[in-house]
Amino acid sequence: MIELKNVSKWFRTKQGKKYILKEVSFSIPSNHNIGILGRNGAGKSTIMKMLGQIEFPNIGSIKSDKSFSWPLGIGGGFIANMSGKANVKFVCRLYGKTNREIQEIIEFVEDFSELNHYFEMPIKTYSSGMKARLNFGLSLAFDFDYLLIDETLAVGDARFKKKSKEALLKKIENCNVLLVSHDMGTLKEICDAGIVVNEGKMSYYDDINKAIEEYAEINKKAG
Amino acid sequence: MKKRSSLKIFLAVQNALFLRELNMRLSAGRLGLFWTFFEPFFQIIVFVLIKVLLFGAAESNFDFAVFLSLNFIAFNMFKNIVTKSSNAFGSNKALFVYKQVKPIDTMIARTLLEVFITAVIIIVFLILGFYFDFDMEVKDLSMVALGFFFLLFFSFSFALFVAVLSTFVESIGKVVGFMMTGLMFGSAIFYTIEMLPVPLQEMLLYNPLVHFIEMIHGFYFLALDDQFVSYTYMWLWSFSLLYMGLWLYIKLEKRIISL
Repeated sequence: MIELKNVSKWFRTKQGKKYILKEVSFSIPSNHNIGILGRNGAGKSTIMKMLGQIEFPNIGSIKSDKSFSWPLGIGGGFIANMSGKANVKFVCRLYGKTNREIQEIIEFVEDFSELNHYFEMPIKTYSSGMKARLNFGLSLAFDFDYLLIDETLAVGDARFKKKSKEALLKKIENCNVLLVSHDMGTLKEICDAGIVVNEGKMSYYDDINKAIEEYAEINKKAG
Repeated sequence: MKKRSSLKIFLAVQNALFLRELNMRLSAGRLGLFWTFFEPFFQIIVFVLIKVLLFGAAESNFDFAVFLSLNFIAFNMFKNIVTKSSNAFGSNKALFVYKQVKPIDTMIARTLLEVFITAVIIIVFLILGFYFDFDMEVKDLSMVALGFFFLLFFSFSFALFVAVLSTFVESIGKVVGFMMTGLMFGSAIFYTIEMLPVPLQEMLLYNPLVHFIEMIHGFYFLALDDQFVSYTYMWLWSFSLLYMGLWLYIKLEKRIISL
């Protein structure tokens, strides 16, 4: 369960405060794979980060006893001057893995991400797709309650996409995802519940299809 | 995922950050390793030469090269902790996507790395000193060590204060840079307070760093003492800076993370 209590989040712009959430209170039930929908700039990624507790509301609190992955997106918290392998080691150490576990994870990630000799090269030589592959492969090696995914499924060639999707579907047998995506197909396939973010409000739907309908409605209104 | 205790998480994060910082420092350019440890060595040779050439070999009753080395090791530790840790938040921004990495962790890791580098430099100097047969007799080793420890505490407090401020006031970093040059000449590194005329003594004793350096070399050399050191003044500075730094940090932590 993730509990939001009287949460407000805004950014300051030249036109004044732009609200992403305004006085929102509710709880998100556990054991659902949740898709987050909203128009560009509605604050989907910010909300995902807030649920994962690496971004904070201006007012109110968000509490959960679940563990969350780092956000899996195109960017990723990699260090540009270090090799992919060194970055994998670093993240393993952050999570307190033993040397033997680290060795296993390195082998797994190297194999999964198919980076070949790039695995030993600095991250700054990677394309964004390669970074996303490394990031996704690495996240599969940990047991989180929730994976936070920000449109990363669409990387690599068709074969790699298929492999990622299969790996993710297998992974979510034991954990849940919070997925930000504009791809309705992916949302339907992976998520069973949805959150629609619009103009400072967020609404939760037990059924992803209802969330998608609502999102379509918002889009229609906005023209 | 298994729940880990706060201490375990903190230690895992420190371990990861420390090794990463060390790795980055050593791989900075081809001569990263060389410069990390030999820069202070060249610095001291230059200053000893200047002193000997300009003022002639001193008639003091302690070895000037050892005196200068000791002071520079202490001063460099202070300078590096402050300059390297005070921009730790900005340069580690990318790491705050990992929930367990708090901004202050990156600062602690950089401070620990500077302590480690200082320890290695001390060992290098000891080896060279013994090899070239310098007179390195210590009056009171435990008090010298305590002096270094006090200095470390002061440096960390100062660095934290600067780090939090510089996240919101960018030019603080520049001011600290200027200040360091001033402090190098105004912190009893090239001289002892006793050597100076009284009005200058009074002025320099307002500089907290003078007290730390005077304490360290006062307990190292048989010919010197700590008559000018005010321990109350040292602690007053250290605790006020730590208190203000921590207070600001706690207030602003979330803003620093999402900068």
